[in-house]
Amino acid sequence: MLVTFPQMGTLQVVLQSLLTSFGLKVLTPPVTRQTLEIGAAHAPETACLPFKISLGTFIQALEQGTDTIITCGGSGPCRLGYYSEVQKDILHDLGHDFELIVVEPDIGSVVQALRRLTPGRSWREIYQAFHLAGAKMTALDAIERQTCFSRPREIKSGSADSVKQEAVAAIDQAAEPAALDKVIKHFGDRFSALAIDRAATPLRIGVVGEIFVMLEPFVNQELSKRLGTMGVEVHSPMLLGEYVHTHILKNRTALKKNSVVMALAEPYLGHFVGGHGVKSVGYTVQMGRDGYDGMVHVFPFTCMPEVIAKNILPEVSRVAGIPVLSLAFDEQTGVAGVVTRLEAFTDLLRYRRRRAPGC
Amino acid sequence: MAIRVGIPRGLLFYYYKDLWQNYLRGLGAEVVVSGETSQATLERGGLIDEVCLPVKAAVGHACELASAVDYLFVPRIVSVAAGQYSCPKIIGLPDMVRGSCPKLPPIIDNTINLRQGGLDVYRAVIACGRLLGKNPLTSLSAWYQACWNSSGAAAGRHPGDMTLKVALIGHPYMLNDRQISRDIVGKLADLGVGVVTADSVDPRTAENVTRRLTKRIFWHYCHRLAGAALALMYSLQPLDGMIFLTSFACGPDSLVGETLGRHARHLSLPFMLLTVDEHTAEAGFVTRLEAFTDMLQRRKSKCW
Repeated sequence: MLVTFPQMGTLQVVLQSLLTSFGLKVLTPPVTRQTLEIGAAHAPETACLPFKISLGTFIQALEQGTDTIITCGGSGPCRLGYYSEVQKDILHDLGHDFELIVVEPDIGSVVQALRRLTPGRSWREIYQAFHLAGAKMTALDAIERQTCFSRPREIKSGSADSVKQEAVAAIDQAAEPAALDKVIKHFGDRFSALAIDRAATPLRIGVVGEIFVMLEPFVNQELSKRLGTMGVEVHSPMLLGEYVHTHILKNRTALKKNSVVMALAEPYLGHFVGGHGVKSVGYTVQMGRDGYDGMVHVFPFTCMPEVIAKNILPEVSRVAGIPVLSLAFDEQTGVAGVVTRLEAFTDLLRYRRRRAPGC
Repeated sequence: MAIRVGIPRGLLFYYYKDLWQNYLRGLGAEVVVSGETSQATLERGGLIDEVCLPVKAAVGHACELASAVDYLFVPRIVSVAAGQYSCPKIIGLPDMVRGSCPKLPPIIDNTINLRQGGLDVYRAVIACGRLLGKNPLTSLSAWYQACWNSSGAAAGRHPGDMTLKVALIGHPYMLNDRQISRDIVGKLADLGVGVVTADSVDPRTAENVTRRLTKRIFWHYCHRLAGAALALMYSLQPLDGMIFLTSFACGPDSLVGETLGRHARHLSLPFMLLTVDEHTAEAGFVTRLEAFTDMLQRRKSKCW
């Protein structure tokens, strides 16, 4: 059994760890321009970008000999929940033969998927596999945060990113918790030893929006790296860990944090609209209060929840007093367009900071 | 003087127009419905970005009504059936209206959420009545009478003795809005095409036929639409073709349309996806309809 699954930034490392611990062979073609082109060629024209990219990944993987696809289901109202249905039909009509495992967001479906994927494994082994994958996820998020902190302050440009790259590779390699702990400690030290300008006060920008675009650097044109090299400290309140703890594990602290954000969004967007629409609004209010310099709101073109948020954010921006830049991404998005807008935005934020009282 | 309540002519108004108007009248309100969609309506609604044309129209209608009424009736319809949602943009409509129109009167935006089943609609009925100064009993009786007096969905169109029979699939808020749909129904009639719409399908038949889909569609209105389309496709009365009219940037339709298109292809039924937005030009639209009907005519004369 050769398994593939949709790619989404660091999710690849986490899921790969989980599935290889189950003794499965995993094949995940990296997301490239070609993936996107194949996906866009076979997907409905106005389907959103995650649909096209995951379809492209599936086609590439199937052509390289994958026989099993693991993907997620959902109960709406975001389109993600119906992806698997349409993708299955498209792949069948293309003449591919494969087994599709759709993990719906209920415990019965998860157990059923585990039984199919892990025949003959004890619950203890399964638990350990999840534990390791979870630890990797936390470690990756921590590395991402440290990189975002160091980038705008680093003395030698690119040094934070090279440590990050090594760290991600090492985390990917770690096969057991003890090894992972060692890796985490080692790279923690490396980051503290990095030559940075501790007195610098870079612009602080929050990045919110749809999770796939936020987490997949190929899709968002390496947004956080680009902002970092422009001297901006990027804060993503919704990394993979937050998402998993809030929506999948329903961790109590994460839920409490989530309900605070939802309450902040309430006056502007009074109901869950699927995806992360409400959270984009809520975090903008929160980060406005916390004195951030600006917000970048990213989403796939035609994403329903985020389009609603986008139409409400100008009002939020006015009331909360924080500038917001909304960026939609699709297969037509070019690097230059994104960079120009980010440069203009950060320039404006710098002027704004200079003019602010007390400076 | 009676309280004036405005209902924007858009989106779910086309499903519930009698019900809503009767209910609000039963509460003693004077109901004002905005006029037919015009170019000006779309321009007003165009200030919101990246949404589908019907949402822009609905926001435009709300802005048009804003200065003329005491309340705007834009209920937040989250779900009207167990396990299903309406479209996210319908859920977020009251907020988009609030964020976009200047100088709004208070909005009646009570939430109706029957996703987990239950009696949420009565809570909303009472809350809305209270806003207009009525007690719960009056509100409920107004609601019951409105339900009783409303005819439900618009009567379906039946093709006369036209030579071609084409199923026209699209949300009622598109097909019944002559500006958004570019009067597609009239244009098809001029071309000598008999049109059947989703309204003509019995809801129970539509529900049954959706079992052909391996996963239930969780957008209620799309579920109904897809069910009706599949019922027409698989019915015994032969169709000559199917036109799926959708709006650019409609999320659910992008996936549902794909599924319907694949079913049609398996049945070798000619299927045309027609996407409209505010830039749709008359000539291009007519050309596509003409080409499609010409093809159907030729196909029929060859006696396939």
